[in-house]
Amino acid sequence: MNTILSLNEATRTVNSGSNRVDLLNNITLNVKEGEFISLMGPSGSGKSTLLNCIGMLDSFTDGGYTFLGQPVHAMKEKNRTKLYKEYIGFVFQAYHLIDELNVWENIETPLLYKNIKSSERKALVADMLDRFNIVGKKDLFPMQLSGGQQQLVGIARALIGKPRLILADEPTGNLNSKQSTEIMELFSQLNKDGVTIIQATHSEKNASYGSRIVHLLDGKIVPQ
Amino acid sequence: MFKNYLKIAWRNIMKNKVFSLINIIGLTIGLSASFVIGLMIYHDYTFDTFHQDGDRIYRVVTDFTSPEGEFHNPGVTIALESAIKDNSNFEVVNGFYTERPSKVENREAGTEFKWPNFVIFTKADYFDIFKYNFLAGNADQPLSNPNEVILTENRAKDYFPNLKPAQIVGKTLVYNDSLNVKVTGIVENFKKRTDIVFEEFLSYPTIMQTPRREFIQDNNWNSTNSSSQLFVKVKENANLDQIQNELNALSEEHIDEEMKQYGQTREFTMQPLEDIHFNENYGVYDWERGMASKALLRNLALVALFLLLLGCINFINLNTAQATQRAKEIGIRKTLGSSRNQLIWQFIGETFMLVVFSAILSIGLTKWLINVFSDFVPADLKFELIGTPLIIFGIVILLVIVTVLSGFYPALVLSKFNTVSVLKNHLGVGDKKVGLRKFLTVFQFTIAQIFIIGTLLVGKQINYLLNKDMGFKTEAVVSVYSPRAERELSKKELFADKLASIPQIKKLSIGGMAPASYNTNTSSTTVNNGKTEVQSDLQFIFGDTDYLDLFELELLAGRNFRNDTIREIVINETARKIYGFDTAESAIGEVVDFGDQKVPIVGVMADFYQRSLRTDIKPMALVGDWYRPDFSRYQAIHIAFQNDDAETLKTTLDNIESTYRSVYTEIEDYRVEFLDETIARFYDREKKTSKLLNWATGLSILISCLGLLGLVIYTTNRRIKEIGVRKVLGASVLQINTLLCKEFLILVAIAFIVAAPIAYYGVYDWLQDFSNKEPISFWVFLISGLAMIAFALVVISVKTLRAASVNPVNSLRSE
Repeated sequence: MNTILSLNEATRTVNSGSNRVDLLNNITLNVKEGEFISLMGPSGSGKSTLLNCIGMLDSFTDGGYTFLGQPVHAMKEKNRTKLYKEYIGFVFQAYHLIDELNVWENIETPLLYKNIKSSERKALVADMLDRFNIVGKKDLFPMQLSGGQQQLVGIARALIGKPRLILADEPTGNLNSKQSTEIMELFSQLNKDGVTIIQATHSEKNASYGSRIVHLLDGKIVPQ
Repeated sequence: MFKNYLKIAWRNIMKNKVFSLINIIGLTIGLSASFVIGLMIYHDYTFDTFHQDGDRIYRVVTDFTSPEGEFHNPGVTIALESAIKDNSNFEVVNGFYTERPSKVENREAGTEFKWPNFVIFTKADYFDIFKYNFLAGNADQPLSNPNEVILTENRAKDYFPNLKPAQIVGKTLVYNDSLNVKVTGIVENFKKRTDIVFEEFLSYPTIMQTPRREFIQDNNWNSTNSSSQLFVKVKENANLDQIQNELNALSEEHIDEEMKQYGQTREFTMQPLEDIHFNENYGVYDWERGMASKALLRNLALVALFLLLLGCINFINLNTAQATQRAKEIGIRKTLGSSRNQLIWQFIGETFMLVVFSAILSIGLTKWLINVFSDFVPADLKFELIGTPLIIFGIVILLVIVTVLSGFYPALVLSKFNTVSVLKNHLGVGDKKVGLRKFLTVFQFTIAQIFIIGTLLVGKQINYLLNKDMGFKTEAVVSVYSPRAERELSKKELFADKLASIPQIKKLSIGGMAPASYNTNTSSTTVNNGKTEVQSDLQFIFGDTDYLDLFELELLAGRNFRNDTIREIVINETARKIYGFDTAESAIGEVVDFGDQKVPIVGVMADFYQRSLRTDIKPMALVGDWYRPDFSRYQAIHIAFQNDDAETLKTTLDNIESTYRSVYTEIEDYRVEFLDETIARFYDREKKTSKLLNWATGLSILISCLGLLGLVIYTTNRRIKEIGVRKVLGASVLQINTLLCKEFLILVAIAFIVAAPIAYYGVYDWLQDFSNKEPISFWVFLISGLAMIAFALVVISVKTLRAASVNPVNSLRSE
């Protein structure tokens, strides 16, 4: 298996008042393609920060980060945007759909930023709606959907750009248990289809869907 | 992508209807004002720009200075033309003489035309300076013989309604009963905007058969008549400085000794063709249409600019205030791969959409505004001018500028949001820009405040001007003017006799103009007061022995003149002082020397205002009608009524008109003027200023208050939880309202402090034009400050009171 990303003593430090706080401390992690990793740990342990840094929305302040063989820590903002736009999809606990756009348009948006032609976009979005069984909802706005449906749209939007890696930050945190199970089944299926997934979660049950569990505490990986 | 942006933009506009409406109203007002004023500027600046080599065409005019001031005359002395004819700097030199014949007849058709305007006596050179398109007749050697005329197409249609141009050539017209003139050509009227409005071109030699002959033959360097006009076209590489030097030398060489003696100078000036439309010193030929004033255009442009700025400021304020609401969308777009530039373009695109929407509304409004502001807008300004390519281009540029002005800053602020903190809902962003928003709000209210103070002070001055005692009776007096051509007195006397039988009429007087009018008649005089010899100009008003009584002019010493034709004068106090008599009594019996005759002063009357209160009182004399029977200075019957009540006034007026008709049976024209209306007309310009200020004030208050409302809505919504908590802790509605209003009222107060000195200075400057002015009173400032605060308070309270009275259970439950 190829390595999709590797972290070498990656650290993120911020100044909070006069104190230096290590949000992430010497994280060393290798992720192979096709893995399904669950990050676990209590609130404030650094799960979200690690996901944001891996997703290049935030950056490590020290250490090395290589993504598909490219040194992310040495890259300019513009190239990073290009990289994550191409290979990474995000799923959020609060779904983060654009309220002013309907389901179809929300799913279509990443394609717009990839400059994909209109006809191709239509085909791709239609496929995705089909695959997630939400064709009937395509003209609805986020406010008109249940939480589980919104997260479904969120995942569909993350997948539309055919990412190699999906980063999911507590994807079921706002859902009831039935919806949670459906979403986790979906992730599991995606993983079988070859997408690498890293999820942050509190739930042992959700973590068990993954192929590997990484425990975090106070910004450090806890060795098992 | 673009479609997606449009969609988002549209949905955002619809979602925040109130804010969008505020933005659109503000921008629409600013843009409409800009469009109308832009059209006016374009209209006025494109006069006479179409002439071939127009930049080389000049009118030569005359400037005089004397110890009393400067005088300008659009004409030059007849002698100048031949003196510069051979100067190598000029390509063409053409003098012409403007004239208004009393009558033109087409005897073949039996039609006659009274007082045709825009008639000139000119040489062929005229057609070398201004290129006309000849529809008929010989364009090579026009107007070479006496008794020839070229007509424009429009004029030809009047004189020969059913004939084609080619058929008209060769026909004969009779001017002033005796002058037979052959039509030798028809030219096309200029199709574009022009002040060169002449319609009939008589050949120059023809003038020798008219009473003007003597004036032309005199060829005198020292008489300047505004009818005697001189146009030149300079050569391509002409040296303008050298031309001016040569003109100065000519003026110097032929200076009148008498002028020198009294410290007067004369200068010939080259007035560029494009200056004619703007320079009120020299005037235009069609004075009914009025001229453009660069100062007025500049002030209007400033008003438009301010209104537009106010609209842009609302946009910036509301959009940065709302930023947090858009933050989530921005964060998501960034995680989905949008770059900052793409976001900036998206927001600017949204702004542009709103601006275009406002512009479309504005174009519709412009059509309506051109009618509303007909006092300011030139009468021949057409809305269709908006289709001119240059105007369309200008509008597009303006829209882009407005978009950048209002959209760029909010776009920068919005696109800068940090993705991670946005998505985590850690937002402090909106508050960092509070300082800027406060500054912009202060700026808006400063402008509104300046307009308010200005409006009140200008209104006060106008009121003062209209109500100040002019020094003579102005109420319940009308003047009925005799037909223009009438020179003899008999009909006026007949008319006056018949009027005398109408019981509602208190008094009648036959005379010249009323004591205050636009017309002046002046002679230069010399008086020996026993100590020195004083030289001064003296204005005249003409009237019979009842004139003084009718207008209730106060006689300070002496008596009125004994009859209409006796050579006696009654001078005013100003003249008495200038002539150096210590008291009114001492002036009685002294002699005023008019050069050709000496006339005794028999009375001194109190000063009154002969024109608007802008100007000082000039030395003046009331005289009778000395030149009878050769000609009469009397041109009107002045009538004072017993009382002023509207009912009887109307029947009396009808009576007067029917009496007039019974005397002047064959004349259509009936001119009657109320003296108080004539006086009010002196202040047309001030009233225009006032009307403009009223509009500017109203609109700037509207835009600023809308902007304030937007900010208040936003701030109050953000503080809903705080309000809830305070209420739970026991605050009253009033206390909460005070808390919410305070921060905005402080801004309005700061605006007042900034605005007051600026407004004071502006009004002070404006008042310098008036020799009679109301002092700037400070209570006006106080009132306008309070008014502004009251406006703001009402606007703010609309929202805050509602917020303050919400049940705290509702506002706190959402947590």
